[in-house]
Amino acid sequence: MFSSSTARRLSRCTNRRLLASYAYTKPSSPSDAAISATPLNITDEQRAALDSALRVDQAGEVAANWIYYGQHCILGKQPVTGPLIQEMWDQEKKHLEVMNKMQLQHRVRPTILMEVAKIGGFGLGAVTALLGKEAAMACTEAVETVIGEHYDDQLKEMESLPSTHPSVPLMREVVKEFRDDELEHLDIAVTNHAQRAPAHALLSTVVGAGCKVAIELCKRY
Amino acid sequence: MADFRSQLLRIATSLVRTHGFTREALSRSVLELPAGKAHSEPLSDGAVSSLFGIGEYARKSLIEAWLNEGIIQMASKPSSSLSHVLHTRLNYNEPVLPYLPEAFALLASPERGLPPLDPRPALKHAARIADEASYISGDISSQLSWYTHRASLAVMYSCAELHQLTSPETAHAFLDSLLTGSSAFEKSLDEVHLFSGYVLQSWTGILRSRGIL
Repeated sequence: MFSSSTARRLSRCTNRRLLASYAYTKPSSPSDAAISATPLNITDEQRAALDSALRVDQAGEVAANWIYYGQHCILGKQPVTGPLIQEMWDQEKKHLEVMNKMQLQHRVRPTILMEVAKIGGFGLGAVTALLGKEAAMACTEAVETVIGEHYDDQLKEMESLPSTHPSVPLMREVVKEFRDDELEHLDIAVTNHAQRAPAHALLSTVVGAGCKVAIELCKRY
Repeated sequence: MADFRSQLLRIATSLVRTHGFTREALSRSVLELPAGKAHSEPLSDGAVSSLFGIGEYARKSLIEAWLNEGIIQMASKPSSSLSHVLHTRLNYNEPVLPYLPEAFALLASPERGLPPLDPRPALKHAARIADEASYISGDISSQLSWYTHRASLAVMYSCAELHQLTSPETAHAFLDSLLTGSSAFEKSLDEVHLFSGYVLQSWTGILRSRGIL
């Protein structure tokens, strides 16, 4: 009866108190090992995988913030699109706040390409917004598709981490929550006529490919 | 076998102050094993080579183990003061100062002829100390400032350590002067950044009032 996006929103409303990210944004106990310590009983390969995963996640949230910033600069005053972009941007700000804390908690080296991510994100957001609100939504659709798949892949990789340390189950729940948020943004973009954008297929392909290249670069650098 | 090797390396690091970074320190590590496991004779040269590598590889293993132990020592005395953490690390050098120049030179020696000097071990050493010191002191830098903070710490610590090799009595004061100078420089940069922000806001306001933005 309900669309998948509506179902996700309803589920989110009822589970508002249970969001995993609240452990970071509204900590009840700052010294809780789940948010302040990193697992030490993992292999070097697992540590390297965790390191690159969180590095990419943080860079991705920075880029997403700057994409919405660029879109907001152009379309922020539009009566329907403006508030939509603002709502999605606010959620990305929360994601970034959590990712910054997780980066420090797990002693992850942030990507050295952070400034490139900001400039690239802002440029992408602004340029697609200049092409029109449908193009901006198409950009969001393409980015959130790649990010949603990326978080899904990460969840599969994280299954191998030992759950004995409290930070690991929390990390999985946070990634799951953020994946669902990104997919919600994807639904919003599609509902708001992303597929009517000029040269939608080309735009989606180019933006999606760019995101995948960025992910691979941030994993390493 | 790997655990036994690690255990011997840990014991050997405590023998560095009396035997230097030598194969002899590695050989005598078995004499210091816990009661019941301790040997009555040091390891033979062949045994040292089997466990730790032939020639200078064994000494490099010992040096790296000693550096790792230095990182552990830093973490064992947590402090929110960056200065205190770095001074702790400098103190760790003091018992073995006479052996350090040769140890660092050995680490920087390439395994094959060229290039004549390998800077990577020195850079890795400074970077590890900077990262550990930042973590222990509760640094919350993120994104680009994560790198700049650690790079500046690595440079300051490296300078202080080099100073310590030639003038140990003034090393701590030298480190303090570097830290003080760095924080003054950082404060100046922050003020420039803040001022630039105000100027940008003013220009934005002017452009908006003229209808350009």
